[in-house]
Amino acid sequence: MTVSHALQQMQVPLLALVLVGACAAKMSRALRARSVTAVLDATSLFPPRLRRPATMAVCLTELCLGAGILLTSGRAWHGWAAGVRLATALFFLIAMCAVVELREFRPDLGCGCFGDLSSKPPGLRSVLRAGLLGAAGLVSIPAGELTLPPAGPAAALDLGILVTEFLLVAAVSPEVGEMLARLGYAEPCELRAAPPQRALAALHRSRSWRRQAHLICAGNPADMWRELCWWYLVYPGRDGTADCDVVFAVEVRPRRPAIRSAVVRRAGQVSPDDGFDRRQDAADGLSPAF
Amino acid sequence: MQGRPAGPLCCGRCAGAQATARVARRQYFRAAVFARPGALPGADDTPGPDDTPGAADRAERGAAGAGRFRTVTGTLVDASPHILVVGTGEGERRLTLRPGSPVWRGRLAAATELRPGERVVIRLAPGRRDVADKVWASIGRVAGTISASDAGQLIVDEGTTRRPQAVAISPAAANRIRVRFPQLEPGNLIDVIGLRRGATLEALIPATSQPADLASRVTRGAAVVKTSGRTFSGSATWHEPAEPGEEPRGVAYPAVDPAAGCAESGCAAAALTAPGPAELPYLAVGSLLSVRNECTGAARVLPVTGCGAAARLFHDRCLTCGTSPRGRVADLTLVSFAEMGGDLERACFNATVTVWP
Repeated sequence: MTVSHALQQMQVPLLALVLVGACAAKMSRALRARSVTAVLDATSLFPPRLRRPATMAVCLTELCLGAGILLTSGRAWHGWAAGVRLATALFFLIAMCAVVELREFRPDLGCGCFGDLSSKPPGLRSVLRAGLLGAAGLVSIPAGELTLPPAGPAAALDLGILVTEFLLVAAVSPEVGEMLARLGYAEPCELRAAPPQRALAALHRSRSWRRQAHLICAGNPADMWRELCWWYLVYPGRDGTADCDVVFAVEVRPRRPAIRSAVVRRAGQVSPDDGFDRRQDAADGLSPAF
Repeated sequence: MQGRPAGPLCCGRCAGAQATARVARRQYFRAAVFARPGALPGADDTPGPDDTPGAADRAERGAAGAGRFRTVTGTLVDASPHILVVGTGEGERRLTLRPGSPVWRGRLAAATELRPGERVVIRLAPGRRDVADKVWASIGRVAGTISASDAGQLIVDEGTTRRPQAVAISPAAANRIRVRFPQLEPGNLIDVIGLRRGATLEALIPATSQPADLASRVTRGAAVVKTSGRTFSGSATWHEPAEPGEEPRGVAYPAVDPAAGCAESGCAAAALTAPGPAELPYLAVGSLLSVRNECTGAARVLPVTGCGAAARLFHDRCLTCGTSPRGRVADLTLVSFAEMGGDLERACFNATVTVWP
């Protein structure tokens, strides 16, 4: 087996993997968002009524081509192999043109080539990748039937070519950086949606709650709000003969949230309304809320 | 609006003074629960709270940046080429117009074109209490989802806490608006600035370009630039007060925690439950934001007074001074926008917002 023949043959698994991966990424996005048109991408070049069918057509084409390349690589259906590989090459060349168009007319949108991972506007690397994959499709046409190489230098050559090609595709794929970032990403607490019931449950189990429970004279908080990584709960209370407010801060964290508390006496407190004018003067025209 | 309850499940701007009081109480409670022993009067072992601790000082420091503007809003009583008499809640004020002070009334106009009875917003010259720097007469803005369209008049839904707004597109501005907003059928988004004529806005200026998708299909755009977890940049826009008694200074924030049951976020309309324009930290009505106008350098600390229902729908950029990162990060009240040096007819300014303190 010559190097050029090995090079031709190794395009087949590469193309199949890229096509099936792209289809899986798009379907995963659609399933999570429960909508085919969940994210704006290259199909935004079409009129709104055509976006859904266009997205479905791209996804289906990728799946068919990916599966077709794999199925025709063996002895069975090998007669269709050249046609499928030519169609794959055409598909990637059209994709390259679409990315160029997208950069021209909607430079603010991602191409959506690999679903959510392709949300950034495509750069020259994305154009280059589509072109390289198109060229790989053309190169693979005369590769013939895909066979397992005998153990030894031939297998090492095949493996080396395959790994090199994957590294080359990764180098021209902006999605790789996004994928690595996601693998190491934990959503910051200030961006995390959290039901207030969780804060209440954590509070009622806490030592702070038990310590202040004798002051609290209502079952439900008089006010409750979320700010960044903390829930705040205010309960009306009575400390001896004076009215007070018992304030709790519960951290937005799924397990063992930090909880802080304070007792604020109401006696002698100026009502907020009375304080507004004074604060407004002090704040030099800022909101009376200060 | 005054009749609406100021319950914990309502946006701040639903309830006027009651909600403003709640904003102040929340600031006080937050300071109390994080105060070190002895640092806060009235918390735990140190009784006697009577003010929001240090907030005014901190706010003043935050506002001490360049470009300190004040505004006067009210009803025009009389106008001459050099003097405006404006009726405000505290009485009449006479303001001097400097030569060259711009007066906006649908376009740049002479002061004598203003009519008594018009609502005016006047930005004062820095350091002067009675000299007008710029005047806007009868300016209004409508941003939201078109709910009905009939014979050149549109009805726009701006959220559940605001009444539907009627918009009539001025024939003189129709071409300009149709270029930026080609789809004026129900379900599409619109954001226009114009002259307020009673309950109807005569649209004259498109405030942005129409998003490609229907309001019900708004999807998350690219994230705003975040320099840290508490600081983010994007576009700051403005909105008109929903009612006369509404808190004049503040921010409608697009990421008020949905679990708080804010009326606008909980709106049944799919358009208003759209994902936010960016990954913004969850805050509540009453949170403080330091908003900096990157075009003028003016900075102010303002409370979150409501949910930016309309701001959630637009993923546009502001081009007032350079190109802002995508997404509306703050929807300021009309007065706050003008006091930060923003030109109301330009719709937005590039802003950097920091959660305060």
